[in-house]
Amino acid sequence: MSSRVADAGVEAPAAHPSPSRLVPWFAALAAYAVPIWFVLAPMALFLGYSFFSVDKGNIVFTPTVANYVRFFTDPVFLPIFWRTCLLCLAVAVLCVLFAFPVAYFLTTLRGRRRYVLLVLLLVPLLMSYVIKIYAVRSILGGNGMLNRALLATGLIDKPSMLFVFNLNAVLLTLTVLLIPFAVLPIFLSLERIPKALRHASADLGASNAQTFWRVTVPLSLPGTLSAMSFVFVLAIGDFLTPQMVGGQSGFTFGRIIYSQFGTAFNWPFGAALSVILAAVVIIAIRLGGRVESSRGRIQ
Amino acid sequence: MNEAGVLLKLRSVSKSYGATAILHDIDLDVRDGEFITILGPSGSGKTTILRLIGGFTKPSGGEILLDGRDIAAMPINQRPFNTVFQDYALFPHLTVEGNVGYGLAVRGTPRAEIAKRVADALELVQLGPLGKRFPAQLSGGQRQRVALARAIICRPRLILLDEPLAALDVELRRHMQSFLKSIQTEIRTTFLFVTHDQEEAIAMADRICVMNGGRIQQIGSPHEVYYRPSCEFVAKFFGENNLIPGTLGPTDGKTRSIDTAAGRVICAVDGQPDMAAAPEGSPAFAVCRPEAVTIGDDAAGENRFPVSIGQVAFAGASTMATATALDDPGLSLKARMPSRPGGASLRPGDTVTFVVPASTCRLVPA
Repeated sequence: MSSRVADAGVEAPAAHPSPSRLVPWFAALAAYAVPIWFVLAPMALFLGYSFFSVDKGNIVFTPTVANYVRFFTDPVFLPIFWRTCLLCLAVAVLCVLFAFPVAYFLTTLRGRRRYVLLVLLLVPLLMSYVIKIYAVRSILGGNGMLNRALLATGLIDKPSMLFVFNLNAVLLTLTVLLIPFAVLPIFLSLERIPKALRHASADLGASNAQTFWRVTVPLSLPGTLSAMSFVFVLAIGDFLTPQMVGGQSGFTFGRIIYSQFGTAFNWPFGAALSVILAAVVIIAIRLGGRVESSRGRIQ
Repeated sequence: MNEAGVLLKLRSVSKSYGATAILHDIDLDVRDGEFITILGPSGSGKTTILRLIGGFTKPSGGEILLDGRDIAAMPINQRPFNTVFQDYALFPHLTVEGNVGYGLAVRGTPRAEIAKRVADALELVQLGPLGKRFPAQLSGGQRQRVALARAIICRPRLILLDEPLAALDVELRRHMQSFLKSIQTEIRTTFLFVTHDQEEAIAMADRICVMNGGRIQQIGSPHEVYYRPSCEFVAKFFGENNLIPGTLGPTDGKTRSIDTAAGRVICAVDGQPDMAAAPEGSPAFAVCRPEAVTIGDDAAGENRFPVSIGQVAFAGASTMATATALDDPGLSLKARMPSRPGGASLRPGDTVTFVVPASTCRLVPA
């Protein structure tokens, strides 16, 4: 089919560009147009808006850096920003700590068992995010399953408020929801370690624990770090989870941005905060990928 | 060699995966300080023997004895053996020094001693200045040497080498062959070397163990397996050979005759008690190497075959003549002779006599 079209083009080169020459152009146009229109353009728009201001509910289209000055000087925003970064870092570390043993266990399984467990781990990703948050809420609440279980065992005598509508609840919920995202990259990097390397390690006299710490863990580091940056990025962009389980004290950077576009109706300031968030996300992704590429060169 | 000189004994070792038997009834002694090569085509079970000794897989039956103790259940990391793996299996996240010192580091050797012994080992394999490099920054031959240094640094009693030269190109392989051999002579450690390359086995080994179909076909010096094969497989496995089928005749203890379609052939049987004792009339092959054949009526030798030359192939230092026996048109015989600058004197179609002395002719059972 395609060769026939090409032949036609050879026979009549001067008449008009043959369809076979136009196809790659359209393909390229589509390939570039989609990300430019749907990703780059909105981000550029945000960047532009972040230099405007608002006066009595109307956007003033005069360039100004007031929004950025406000972020760095106002005593409210910076502490919340740092606290959110720290929270998401903690989520990333916790996710990796939980995901690593799971991923390691997965690599020890063979055949059908491995895929059953893998699918079980990935099923939550198919569920609605909101439903999952509600599920975790029902576990964490003042009268939730966790508290009732603790009361029933007699470990506590009145419901604990440690995990009810505060930052701890956000931390736990994000960790639970994002673990599947950490398992996959770690599993893939563990899977890539040749069996011969573990054999070589044992052959040279290393115990199983020594092989694990000296060979398996270092070689899984690229996957572990990209899992961390992955989870961090997903966590820091999330405003829904803090909104639903964070209560009054669980205020995060995402919620501030959300309120700028909603109740506060200050789009330019919200855009400026989004630009700062985007910068953090880009840095996190670069850090996660940098180790990967430098490791890749070694290998 | 006496019992004391034996490092490792395999006694009726077998291995099967499910219903598939990989090794049958392997009896093998590895002598202290020798360079023993396990040679066989792919699927012959040679690598499985190495994996059993290294502990990477467990035997289905039989015993592997080290100092008279069965080590079948001994974990990999407690065996006093080290392995040079087929694809080297160097740790990509460690430098050359880290790789070579790994075996010492996991034993808790002091840092200063590790550094000294790593330097010595790298010196031995002629990689002195490359200690800070990563494996990915080395050539194939250099990685090979790192793998070797890593295996010898713990002073194992036996070094297992699993086709370590298979990935190298021909010239480098030749070089590494003599290099490995010289290292082995220098550190006086037992090497068990697995390969599918006959020339490599002959060039390096003190003894060759020829494997086929999960069984040992013959164990002997390279000279023995080449000139005194014990079976048809071995006779055909090492390069060109003449096999003349026939039935066994009488023996005088030193020589034995075999009746073939091309006439009676006299073969030496000294050192081959099985062939000397085999009943008369049983089928066998007379075997002689093409280079043992001389051409011409006046040449001395007991066995004479009038032949018609079919093909004369120049192969550099030697020239191979392929001929058909006049007494048995189904029998093709080969003779190898030194090439001459003036060209071969034989022409296809010539009728000449192939002469083979009885001392260079051997018998194998059919």
